[in-house]
Amino acid sequence: MPSFGLTLLTSIVAGFVGAMSGMGGGVVLIPVLTFLGLPIKKAIAVSIISVIATSSGSASAYVRDHLTNLKVGMFLEMFTIVGALVGANVTVALSQRWLFLAFGLVLMASWSVLLVREKEEWEPLTEQDSFSRWLELKGRYPDQALGRTIDYQATHAAAGASLMLGAGFVAGLLGIGAGALKVLIHDLVMHLPPKVSTTTSNLIIGVTALAGTSVFLAHGLIDPGLAAPVILGVLGGSFLGTRLLVRLKNQAVRRFFLFVLAILGLQMIWRGWRGGL
Amino acid sequence: METLVGTILLFGVLLCAGFLMAGVLWSGMATGTLGLHYSLTGTNLFQFWLTNIRQLALGKWQPSLLVNLGIALLMMTPYVRVLVSTAYFAFAERNLKYTLFTGFVLAVLTYSLFLH
Repeated sequence: MPSFGLTLLTSIVAGFVGAMSGMGGGVVLIPVLTFLGLPIKKAIAVSIISVIATSSGSASAYVRDHLTNLKVGMFLEMFTIVGALVGANVTVALSQRWLFLAFGLVLMASWSVLLVREKEEWEPLTEQDSFSRWLELKGRYPDQALGRTIDYQATHAAAGASLMLGAGFVAGLLGIGAGALKVLIHDLVMHLPPKVSTTTSNLIIGVTALAGTSVFLAHGLIDPGLAAPVILGVLGGSFLGTRLLVRLKNQAVRRFFLFVLAILGLQMIWRGWRGGL
Repeated sequence: METLVGTILLFGVLLCAGFLMAGVLWSGMATGTLGLHYSLTGTNLFQFWLTNIRQLALGKWQPSLLVNLGIALLMMTPYVRVLVSTAYFAFAERNLKYTLFTGFVLAVLTYSLFLH
C-alpha cells in the first residue's frame, strides 16, 4: 500500500487535475494508485468514496445558489443508482485485466467528447414533450453573466432516464463520478442550460457514488487508512483547482490537463492489454 | 428546500473532513506517523455505525474511531439528503409524484446500505 504522504499528494494532484480538466478526480486517482501498487478494485473503491465528498461539497454551493434543478436530479437519480449498483457488482466479479481495459476505454471516450465538443449557444425550448411536462421538469436560474433570470424547460425525459442508467453503471463499475457523461445527457438529450446541467449532474453524482460505495463496503474493499488521505487530498485539490479555474479562464491550460488524461487513458488500455499488470 | 439540501451537504462534508483530519493528526501525535493501518471486513453502513457507536459508548476513543466516524458521516450525507427530500415532498410540498420518486431512491439506497 502506498504511504500516507504519497497517497495524500497523489490525491491533491488528482483533485486538482480533475477540477481543471472538468473530468473529476477519480480518472487521475485510479491510474496513479494502481501505478503505486494498489490493486485496481481497491483503487476504484477508495475513489468512489472520495467522489461522494467532492460532489457533495460542490453541490452544496450550487444548490443554495439555485443553479441546480432538484426535480430533474431526483427523477434521474432513480436510474443512476440502479445502474451504479449493477456496475459495482460487476466490478467485484470482473478480473483486473477487464477493469483496466474498461477504465482506459471510458476515459478515452469521455476525453474525446470533452476535446472535440464545441461550445454551442443554448436557446430555451419553446415546446416540451408531454412526459417531461408531467414530470414538472422546468425551472429558472439567476445568470450572473447576463444579469437576469433564465427560464427553461427540459425535454426527452424518458430517453435521458434510460441513458442515465448507463452513466450510473459506468460510475459504479469504475469508481468515478462519470460527470462528463451525465452532463452530455443533460445537454444534448434533455436540453438543459449548461450551468444547470453541470450543477444538477453534481447533485446526482453523490447519491450514485453512495450506491456504489455500499457494494464495495459490503465486500470489504474500503480501506479506511487509505480513504482518509484520499478524501482529504481530493477535497483539497478540487477546491484549489476550482478556484484557479475561475481565475484562469484559459482554454490552453484545460487542454494541457486533457492531454495528461489522454496519456493516463492510453496507459490503462496498454496495461489491460498486457493482462492487468 | 434548496437551502436545506445545501446545508445538509455542506455540514456532512465539513464534519467528515473534520473527523478524518482529527483522526489522522491524533495518530500522528501518538505514533509519529500519520498513516493508519487497519482494515474493515465486509460490513454495511448501519452495522458500521453500530460498531462505532458501541465503541463511543465504551469510551474507546482512538484515531481509527475518528476516521471510521468520518467515513460513516460522509456516507450518511447523501442518504440524509434523500431522506429529507422525501419528507419535504411528502409533507411540505404534498407532491405525490416526487414523494414516490425520492421514496424509491431512499428504498433502493436503504436496501444497498443493508447489503452484507
